[in-house]
Amino acid sequence: MHPVNEVVRFLPLVIGVFFLGSSTDGNTWWHALGFVVPIGLGVLRYLTTSFRIGEQQLELRRGLLSRNVLTAPLDRVRTVELTSSPIHRLLGLARVQIGTGSASKSGEQRFVLDSLGLADARLLRARLLHRAAEEVDTAATPEDDTLLRLDPSWIRYAPLTTSGIVIALGSLAFLSQFADNAVNTLANESSLRERVHALPLWAALLSGVVAAAVVVSVLAILGYVLTNWGFTLSRDPLGRSYLVRRGLLTTRETSIERERVRGLEIHEPLGLRLAGAGHLAAIVTGLDRRSRGSTPVVPPAPRRVVIGVGEVLLAHQGPFTAALVPHGPRARRRRWMRALSAASVVPLLVALGAGFLGWAWWLLLPAVLAWPVGAWLARDRYARLGHALTPDYLVLQRDSFRGRRDALQRAGIIGWNIRQTYFQRRAGLVTLTATTAAGKQAYHAVDIPEQLAIELADAAVPGLLVPFLG
Amino acid sequence: MSTKARAVWTVTALVQAVLGAAILVVLVLAWQLFAMPWWGWLAYGAVAAGYVAAMPAFRYRVHRWESTEEAVYTQTGWLTRERRIAPMSRVQTVDLEQGPLSRLLGLAAVTVTTASAAGPVKIEGLDFTVAERLVDELTRRTSAVAGDAT
Repeated sequence: MHPVNEVVRFLPLVIGVFFLGSSTDGNTWWHALGFVVPIGLGVLRYLTTSFRIGEQQLELRRGLLSRNVLTAPLDRVRTVELTSSPIHRLLGLARVQIGTGSASKSGEQRFVLDSLGLADARLLRARLLHRAAEEVDTAATPEDDTLLRLDPSWIRYAPLTTSGIVIALGSLAFLSQFADNAVNTLANESSLRERVHALPLWAALLSGVVAAAVVVSVLAILGYVLTNWGFTLSRDPLGRSYLVRRGLLTTRETSIERERVRGLEIHEPLGLRLAGAGHLAAIVTGLDRRSRGSTPVVPPAPRRVVIGVGEVLLAHQGPFTAALVPHGPRARRRRWMRALSAASVVPLLVALGAGFLGWAWWLLLPAVLAWPVGAWLARDRYARLGHALTPDYLVLQRDSFRGRRDALQRAGIIGWNIRQTYFQRRAGLVTLTATTAAGKQAYHAVDIPEQLAIELADAAVPGLLVPFLG
Repeated sequence: MSTKARAVWTVTALVQAVLGAAILVVLVLAWQLFAMPWWGWLAYGAVAAGYVAAMPAFRYRVHRWESTEEAVYTQTGWLTRERRIAPMSRVQTVDLEQGPLSRLLGLAAVTVTTASAAGPVKIEGLDFTVAERLVDELTRRTSAVAGDAT
């Protein structure tokens, strides 16, 4: 802990007190109090917080009046994350967050050491993660091998990352607001209003969509740069853990023990996929529930980079290149039925609007486009649906918009759920879910024929399911 | 599965039907959000009565459970059905619970959790003695397996 950081945290208050004091003039001791109290509190916190790494225990002591001692066995330490906000960085400090896989969400139960010196923080991380190994010596530690470094040209993928759905829904919402509403609120009470009204309808719509696209893209690029600038993925020289560093202003260093990795998720949302790109996340046990158990290991980047890194991480080629087993004609029929019935809603609503509410009939022309879009979607969704089994991994692929391909370690599967809705039952299909302690906790094979599902589950984890269903 | 489970489900369904009716009454008569024609009330009554009459029987036919040395298995649901299986080696906690109605009828539910948030296996509507015996068996079997079950 560092007292300066505490003062900075209280800075708004300090400034407030200062101005308040000077405007009401007089009473200088009041001024001083505004400085002294936060600094005092900061120093106090600094002095009363200490941590200790024992033989087998990690111990964090806090508090002056009410004492709080938090302990955890060292072998429960699963992840160590270092974050440095701009203030931390200015002072060469870091905040260390130690994940012990505890399900507790309350802050009191989490190991957080704020404002450690950066070098000390790194040393602490090395000690915690490789405690079994020889005494760690920073000077003698060989360089980590870098598996990936952000190429600034990848920023071009940023606007495509806001997954296809969001973009599609956004533009749909914009279109449905139609002319007056959106344009009016945007251009209210300015000379823009008359000019927009002077434009033909299609031009106003087009410029609106373009403007929205530009705004969304700029925001996406900003977000990408803020979180992913300087993204590097490296592996420690003995191959025991991976380290992800990223961030423009607030830097974040997450290290993941290799034994805790249960697989990888390739995310290929529609926009990225059409541009030949994707991003990769590791499925890890013992991460904070807030980060939903998966850590990005490759930011949006070209597909070959994603696959290359993935193969290095898994030390296997199979999971990403294996041919997928399709789920058959009944799954295909279901994809088509669902896409086309959803697509029919748009023309139906427009027709109803035209019939009863007096909307213009020509609106039906664009509305009918929903059918070819639905058809394309159905085809794509079926083409992507599939699974594969490699000696160590269960590979599941699905979804068009979100575009997921998950490779889950077979040894990490800790149970199965087989779910059938009424309609799935009539089609003889099931949703097979592999449950795991890592990542999203559940990985689904959607609309897989029942017999195939049982065979797959039995092949992936032999002898578990068949005694009950065989 | 005890036949008394059907009674629990029937009572639950009745409560749900009455609650639904109460909400409708508040929306239509008290707040007058929309007008409900007489056949609307009739239709609601028919659907609710059908649900109360058919669901427990359906559910009873679907629900199954089995526990062996290797794993615990359940089949639940009525329209949407779900089968769950958890191997003994991955079981983390075994939990026995009784609601007020279950206590009255001498029933209990046993929930077996694994390290996955998606994996709890819940066996409902067991006779209390059966449930107790099952919990004993499960704890004996799971404690025989080493490791942290992740």
